Amino acid sequence: MNKLYGLALAAMVGAAPAHAQIKVGFVTSLSGPAAALGIPYAKGMAAAQSYNAKVGDQSVTVIQLDDGSDPSAATRNARKLVEEDKVDILIGTATAPSSIAMSTVANELHVPYIAVSPIKVDVTDPKTQWTIAVPQPPVLMGKVISDRMKRDGVKTIGFIGFSDAWGDLVYAGAKAAEARGEIKVLTNERYTRTDTSVTAQILRVVAAKPDGVLDGGSSTQAALPLLALAERGYKGKTYGLASLVNADFIRVGGKAAEGVQVCTGPVIVSDQLPADHYAKKISGDFRAAYEKVNGGQPTDGFAAYSFDAWLIFTNAANRALGKAKPGTQEFRAALRDAMLSTKDLAGTQGLYTFRPGEGYGVDEHSLVVVTLKDGKWAYTP
Amino acid sequence: MSFDIAAILAVDGVSNGAIYALVAIGTVLLFSVTRVMFVPFGDLAAFTALTLAALDGGKRPGTVALVAILAALAFSMEAFALLRAGRRRDLPKAALYYLLVPGVLAAIVGVAAPLHPPLPVRLLLALMAVTPIAPLLDRIVFRPVADAPVLLLLIIAVALHFALVGLGLLFFGPEGVRTEPLTSGSLEIFGTTISGQTVLIVVAALALSGLLYVCFDYTLVGKALRAVSSNRTGARLMGIRPARAGAIAYILGSVLAGVSGILIAPVNTIFYDSGFLIGLKAFVGAIIGGLYSYPGAALGALFVGLLESFASFESSSLKDVIVFSLLVPILMWRSIASLHLEEDDEE
Amino acid sequence: MTRRRKSIAGVLALVALAAAPLFLSSFTISLLDYIGVYALVAIGLALLTGVGGIVSFGQAAFVGVGAYATAWASALAGYSPWVGLALAIVLTCGVAAVLGATTLRLQGHFLSLSTLAWGLAIGFLFGNVEGLGNFSGISSIPPIRIGSLALTESAQIYYLIWGVVAASLVALSNLLNSRAGRAIRALRGGNVLVESLGIDSFRTKLAAFVIAALLAALSGWLYAHMSRFVSPATFDAGMGIEYLMMAMVGGQGSLIGGVVGASIITFLKNSIQDYLPLISPGASGQLEVVAFSAIFILFLQRARRGIVPYIVDRLPKASEPVDESAADLPKRRQPPAGRTILSVDQVVRRFGGLTAVNLVSFEVRAAEILGLIGPNGAGKSTMFNLCTGALPMDSGAIAFAGEPIRRMPQRAIARAGVSRTFQHVKLRPRMSVIDNVLLGAHTRTKAGIAAGMLRLDRSEEASARKEAQAQLQRVGLGDVLFEEAGNLPLGKQRLVEIARALAADPVLLVLDEPAAGLRRNEKMALAELLRSLRADGLTILLVEHDMEFVMSLVDRIVVMDFGSKLCEGLPAEIRADPRVQEAYLGSLA
Repeated sequence: MNKLYGLALAAMVGAAPAHAQIKVGFVTSLSGPAAALGIPYAKGMAAAQSYNAKVGDQSVTVIQLDDGSDPSAATRNARKLVEEDKVDILIGTATAPSSIAMSTVANELHVPYIAVSPIKVDVTDPKTQWTIAVPQPPVLMGKVISDRMKRDGVKTIGFIGFSDAWGDLVYAGAKAAEARGEIKVLTNERYTRTDTSVTAQILRVVAAKPDGVLDGGSSTQAALPLLALAERGYKGKTYGLASLVNADFIRVGGKAAEGVQVCTGPVIVSDQLPADHYAKKISGDFRAAYEKVNGGQPTDGFAAYSFDAWLIFTNAANRALGKAKPGTQEFRAALRDAMLSTKDLAGTQGLYTFRPGEGYGVDEHSLVVVTLKDGKWAYTP
Repeated sequence: MSFDIAAILAVDGVSNGAIYALVAIGTVLLFSVTRVMFVPFGDLAAFTALTLAALDGGKRPGTVALVAILAALAFSMEAFALLRAGRRRDLPKAALYYLLVPGVLAAIVGVAAPLHPPLPVRLLLALMAVTPIAPLLDRIVFRPVADAPVLLLLIIAVALHFALVGLGLLFFGPEGVRTEPLTSGSLEIFGTTISGQTVLIVVAALALSGLLYVCFDYTLVGKALRAVSSNRTGARLMGIRPARAGAIAYILGSVLAGVSGILIAPVNTIFYDSGFLIGLKAFVGAIIGGLYSYPGAALGALFVGLLESFASFESSSLKDVIVFSLLVPILMWRSIASLHLEEDDEE
Repeated sequence: MTRRRKSIAGVLALVALAAAPLFLSSFTISLLDYIGVYALVAIGLALLTGVGGIVSFGQAAFVGVGAYATAWASALAGYSPWVGLALAIVLTCGVAAVLGATTLRLQGHFLSLSTLAWGLAIGFLFGNVEGLGNFSGISSIPPIRIGSLALTESAQIYYLIWGVVAASLVALSNLLNSRAGRAIRALRGGNVLVESLGIDSFRTKLAAFVIAALLAALSGWLYAHMSRFVSPATFDAGMGIEYLMMAMVGGQGSLIGGVVGASIITFLKNSIQDYLPLISPGASGQLEVVAFSAIFILFLQRARRGIVPYIVDRLPKASEPVDESAADLPKRRQPPAGRTILSVDQVVRRFGGLTAVNLVSFEVRAAEILGLIGPNGAGKSTMFNLCTGALPMDSGAIAFAGEPIRRMPQRAIARAGVSRTFQHVKLRPRMSVIDNVLLGAHTRTKAGIAAGMLRLDRSEEASARKEAQAQLQRVGLGDVLFEEAGNLPLGKQRLVEIARALAADPVLLVLDEPAAGLRRNEKMALAELLRSLRADGLTILLVEHDMEFVMSLVDRIVVMDFGSKLCEGLPAEIRADPRVQEAYLGSLA
């Protein structure tokens, strides 16, 4: 592990140690601005390991590294995991830029990679595709939420979101819906997580007189626009995407957040799902595992994404084990092929089917719309 | 832009600016006594808010453990220095200042927290928990380099800020908090509603900057504290101990940071790392005010708040670009305004 | 270490670097790639901050401009990465030139704060530019191609990165040992000396600033094509601070320090990541930044000057011998004895309500020593600063060699042939004695930055060194050429100042209390030296407090009191003048 020894004993490189187990490299943001997302991801990974610690008869080791919310640290971590720890697969990380950075490494070093953040996966050449992404793509979320807007009779919306990659993605999803002619996006206002006020931005949004407002914030601070809207006496409907699902969002948002409709994965309302829903059982398992490891219930969707990443990995690894031995490049290739032929795998966030040439494995059935009622998320099909 | 909107923006700007003003005043206080641009000031304010939130929830705040660790560290450093200097007799005093007082404060907070006392007591507890942090950090971080150039102190302060953000994440977790409001009243000016909390902040900023201005310009203690910053050796010759002056400034600064934190937590979601941008913008305000004047710093900070509010309206995504770009011409103006026949600073 | 040994060490280092990929694991090579990329920025900062004394928190923004320029050119616009390189350099240096031109006149911490401000502003800008991928950044950046070879693997781009690092180190260390580099080294410690030597301090600062930005641009270019992905978070203010940390850990004023600092910080972070989980398995991520900051603070407390100077101080000093066969520098023709060199006419200077110099007139003639004396507070030093252009006058006129100097900046007056010394000795204490004296020869030499980097200045440099040595021998310091100037006793430091003034081949030598703080025998030697300079045709204006010293030395004396000229005449007349006695006695009483 130690680089100094690494330098001193450099001459011994080449004699790769024998691997008796599958190694997973997991990168997440335990510090930095994205820690509020990265820490739940880590908890989800811990839950996943306790849920299913073995693939076949092979034990699985997870090496977890912190990228400090910095893409270049994510790149370094990915390289370290692959080149030094010789992991068979990479999973991570909490922000889109860092995940794109990891994807670049994975493609270059030919290691399968499961992104747990929504990123645009480079699939120009299916032969060089080593990356898949777990979360529902924001464009898909945009589609589901714009369908809901249509049902609510909302034709114009105001957008306010984070000035970061997530804000960009949500805005892009809304613009895609606009391009399909479903809604009209009137504003593109931004704020940062550490801002003390969004009054000015909300003035703009309200002045545009939209039928509804789409909140592109994340976690606790997603409540800020809703609070400011309430303060300005805005009466229209409010919408958000999965990133709003968070206990502190509800606490801070209080009354102002009531009634917001959020498009998210089924795991959030798994207890309210019909009994035959694909996500019902696995979500229950996830919640149990999460409670056992971390104490308390998950209050957001992030932990579930890394749990699902683990499901996809173990499912694919089971099939790949027959083809090659872990620790070899052949195993990595087999793992990738297995990953890209995942079919109808029930996860907490969706029913996953991956194909070569496609980065995402979910469709509209991976999303539900929930409404905040009395401080609780209510399934509103 | 209509008058209505301008009025709302102005009110919003003033209420934000008042937050920056509170922090800016503290920055000026510490700079003018210790020559340290105490970048982590905003972090201390955030810690107070997070402490208060934990107390609101009846939980033991992470601050207790933090103070305990810092106290142990500061005392062992002081004890080591004393023993090496052969001043064994001063050990009990050092133990009192660096170990016992912070320890007792932290212990009281730790014991009282789960009892969920009424709000005024919680405020007091939050202040008690945070106040020892800055003086202890002073002993651990800045005292060993007290005579270093301003710039080195600045860089150390920046490093300290990073350390505190890490500790904040460790002790308070990544989520944001809002605390219970201190007042639920509101006020109507220009047809715009202003919450009582905002009024509280503005009043506090004005009162504190006025108070400090009077203290430092018209009282003996204040003048002595000032003297330390302009000439440490001279002050020493006059019988003022720079270390003690520094400690007083840090205690005052801590209380100020605590008060800021308590005031802003009900109107803002505060994260473990919220302190940095607040601190930075306050810092910009303090510089506009000339870094030595309290009313100047308060006005400068109000200006930053207003600028930010109007910039957010014009282009919300470029708001921070606008605020920080504007600092450059202001610095140029400040640099010319403070032009003196250059005295060379040797390395 | 002689130059030869330095070269050997350099070659060995190069061989070790070149062979590294054969021995090291590929991740270690990846780390070395990062170190090289970071080191480029840190080397630039070592020059700007460590050598030039300009603290910049904003280098990460320049790296970002460079990286985004090439990312846009190669990934979005479809040009070759080499076009990206050109664009990165032009754009970054352009931005730096504009920023430098506006901010480099700021003083002290104002300047540093402004770098923080524009660093933040540019950092926030990247995510908000349409067409640059917003906050998600730009991916699929093509690798750099050399001929048909694409540098995709870390071991391939390794050679390019470290080639650039090595070339930068060589170029910059050449620069520092040249005329332009010495000017940059002289910046640290204030403008007064620099301008008095005829050096344009602002342009020198700007040059250092743009060079540092250029290195940042190269770093950004390499980074973009190494990681093949850029996004705003990589170039934020935090990274700017980290670059500064690297330069400071490595060592003030040491270029190699940039490389050492980048290596230490990168390896340190990597090791912290490895070891912390062993100590605290639960919270390692949060503790990483704490541990890192704590180590850094500890370092700044214990070893402020950085690692490399700490080591270098313990190594033998470099002492490249002076080439005796070099050509002489061109010399000025001194004006014929007796001609008026400096004429001061009815000059007035006020400070607020106080008139420090009131309607003073006198003349200095070629090949004489004129003493300007007076009790404390008589306005001598102000008069002195007016003559050298260090202060502007309120009214009146001063002409040097017939030219009015009222509108001339100090450095132009210096170039015209006025050299000065300082009452409080102003040397660059960390520079060698000969380098200090070489600063004096700045106006007599021409080599620019590029010539210095490429060592095209060697014959001129040899001539200048020979001249500096000659002047040091002339003042009796031929044996301490390579000592650090700060290590000399005060008396010798004053002589170094005189040698530095002489190296400029002045017409008029202006000495500000040169005998202050000297012992009796040192004063006698100084008087002897000044007489011999006069014999060589040099004109000297002497501001002095010590009557005995002045009386035995000078040709004529001007006496000032309360800002006005009291009288003027030969030493004997002045000695006998009752007004002078009264002024001095009065001031004594």
